[in-house]
Amino acid sequence: MANMSDEQLTKRDRLRYTKNKTSANLALLAIVFDVLYFVSIYKSNMGSYYYTLMMGISVVYNLVFMLVAFLVSEGSKNYLVQYSYLIIAAGVLQFVRILILPVKAHGSIIELSDGPVQVMGSAQFARVCIYLAASGACCLASAVVGIIRCRQLAEAEKAAADFVSNSEITS
Amino acid sequence: MSNLELQHIDKIYDNHVQAVFDFNLNVKDGEFIVLVGPSGCGKSTTLRMVAGLEDISAGKLLLDGKDITTMPPRDRDMAMVFQNYALYGHMTIYENMAFSLTLRKEDPNVIHRKVLDAAEILGLTPQLNKKPSQLSGGQRQRVAMGRSIVRNPKIFLFDEPLSNLDAKLRSSTRREVMLLHKRLNATMLYVTHDQTEALTLADRIVCMSMGRVQQIGTPLELYDTPANLFVASFIGLPPMNFFDVHVNSDALVHEFFRIPMNDEMRQTLENYFGKVITLGVRPENISEGGDIPIDVMTNENLGMNTLVHGHIGSGKDAVKVSAKLRGWCDYHAGDAVKVSFDRLHFFDKETTDAIRREAK
Repeated sequence: MANMSDEQLTKRDRLRYTKNKTSANLALLAIVFDVLYFVSIYKSNMGSYYYTLMMGISVVYNLVFMLVAFLVSEGSKNYLVQYSYLIIAAGVLQFVRILILPVKAHGSIIELSDGPVQVMGSAQFARVCIYLAASGACCLASAVVGIIRCRQLAEAEKAAADFVSNSEITS
Repeated sequence: MSNLELQHIDKIYDNHVQAVFDFNLNVKDGEFIVLVGPSGCGKSTTLRMVAGLEDISAGKLLLDGKDITTMPPRDRDMAMVFQNYALYGHMTIYENMAFSLTLRKEDPNVIHRKVLDAAEILGLTPQLNKKPSQLSGGQRQRVAMGRSIVRNPKIFLFDEPLSNLDAKLRSSTRREVMLLHKRLNATMLYVTHDQTEALTLADRIVCMSMGRVQQIGTPLELYDTPANLFVASFIGLPPMNFFDVHVNSDALVHEFFRIPMNDEMRQTLENYFGKVITLGVRPENISEGGDIPIDVMTNENLGMNTLVHGHIGSGKDAVKVSAKLRGWCDYHAGDAVKVSFDRLHFFDKETTDAIRREAK
């Protein structure tokens, strides 16, 4: 901290009066990618076994994820570090989700009247993987930025409090 | 440097109503000018023309010698503080103060320093994370001032900034404006209808009525040597008392009293012998002991002074009078108090201009 330049100190001090928009926006971006994922899986054959079985759970989880990510967005905007830890879990789960529905659907073949059909084609599989991975990455990035900024803010507030108490002693 | 010159400024609206007539003013660098006058006298219109919010119908506006008559408001380098604060409710105080600089894409660190400096000047540092709705009226007006300060403009324009505040807050905020001017040494144009603000804040006052400048001068000049009846009646609280008196060679004669003339008065009024003029007496220039009788109607004790309202004479010709008598008095309605007039002002009855002793 002693080696920080004036510019760095000012940048850190700014945190006391500005919202953590980067972290909040990354959490919102994670929602956007999750929605893209969710919308894109409808291109698959919806009558397949996998979907009938998992769609309900998937819908509920998507709603939960969006709610969590939105709450995290608001919380991390106000430098509440616990929300950053929460979105780490959400981000990891986004990666785990790739292994559940997309991977299984991609590896499955169903028999239709015009012959065997892959439940999820390679192009679509790649797309949904990218969406989920991007969503997860945004969550993790939001968490990392959030935790770093929370620590910086704590330092800035401590420095400000020290400055005030030193001023009082001097005066 | 920020000298502002208003040369022969007129404002005529599309419906041919003329709001400002031939306004001339030269504002020096660092000067605090107050435009004062009753509602509808054109003072706010003049300020808005300076800001560029109203077109100038005729005349020239010069800033540091440069003609800015038709220049858009954003290029004039002036900041305006409005009566209704004009703060963004969804932004914090910090964001409100930083907003104009953010729009100009200034470096965030520079913005931060400017906002903190302005907040320090105005005592707003503890409020920076709050929203405007969490602040009092006085604090909100200080935020509006802070938003102007961070821009470091050439001219500050204030349009009745204290009108929304209660009396106590108005007084303290007025002191803050005064300190702000001393600290920044900035050129300020301030519009108000409150003569107390005008007298306490201004380096020079521009007194306006019906779109015309009535007098420009220091507060003392306007109070002590008003140019005409309007200025005399507008400046001073309670307002000046007026009487129509006949000028004799040895006295001013009113139906209910007579004031002997001394040499100085005789010289001042030498062109008015035999005519009727308007005599003006400020309430604070009336004192107990004399031969002018006032019939008391009300008695208001103010601590140091007593404000007595009454009338001189009776019947339909009675003249209402206010007198600010020294000390604590206990007069009751119907009492008669004898007073004298200590300082007199003379006005031409026809032109309403002040009558002054001509320099020889």
